[in-house]
Amino acid sequence: MSTSVAMQKNHKTHSRWFRWRFHLSGLLILIPVVLTPFYIELMSLFGGANGLGERVVGTQQVGPWTITLAEQFERGPKLDGPAGYMKTFNGALCQECAEQVKAVYMRLGKPRSLRTAGVIGFGSPYHMTFSMPVPENSASDADLWLTLEGWDGALHHAQWSLAEASPATVQFLQQLQEK
Amino acid sequence: MLNSVYRRVALVTLVAAWSQVALAHFPFVECTKETPDIVCLGGFSDGSSAQGVTIDLISYDEEIIASKTFDDHSRVQFEPYDGEFYILLDAGPGHTVEVDWNEISAR
Repeated sequence: MSTSVAMQKNHKTHSRWFRWRFHLSGLLILIPVVLTPFYIELMSLFGGANGLGERVVGTQQVGPWTITLAEQFERGPKLDGPAGYMKTFNGALCQECAEQVKAVYMRLGKPRSLRTAGVIGFGSPYHMTFSMPVPENSASDADLWLTLEGWDGALHHAQWSLAEASPATVQFLQQLQEK
Repeated sequence: MLNSVYRRVALVTLVAAWSQVALAHFPFVECTKETPDIVCLGGFSDGSSAQGVTIDLISYDEEIIASKTFDDHSRVQFEPYDGEFYILLDAGPGHTVEVDWNEISAR
């Protein structure tokens, strides 16, 4: 008799737990509900719907062309394995020059030649992405150099001081070099 | 009908997986001075080898002193050069890495 009562109790506890477990699983729906706005905001930043980047650096006249530069995220470079630290910028060419520019390159410091002009911007001419390597020993007063190559072979340069282009990267380098 | 759905799901999954691989693909090169040669080890941040990729030793006046490609072990060896130079891994436009002569340490 007592064994049967104990079994019934055990069964009740189990069924209550199973019922609650079922209701708790409903809470899982809250995860996408909470995270979706962040995801949409992030995707609109990558796609350009939220502007060129988190922080617009400025616009410069480069020879006959105009380019606007922005930091994708207003923070220091991220480590990418053996390739070192990478900082991501976005760039946009003016509407009338988009068809005249063949490629845009970016690097820290003055390029020695076109071969060493730096990383190439990829994506639409109105939303190019540059993942630029930032060597650990980079001077915090270094300049960011952009090289624009036209379909006619013309080369034009634009430069921004790193402090102007990305204060977060300057701060990151100072902290790294203090260690 | 079900097969076609499975095929589509598999295709989307594969495309998504490969797009991740294509995203992070930055070249790197590390050079050390071994007696007497300069030995460089190259590769890409996704772990792939630099086998067959061009690497040049260039003087500061832009003269190409030696032009080689990475071997099966993603390594390359240069004879020592007296003067200021830099080593350039060139995996195509916008996929280059430079190592300056004064960044090459003895092993």
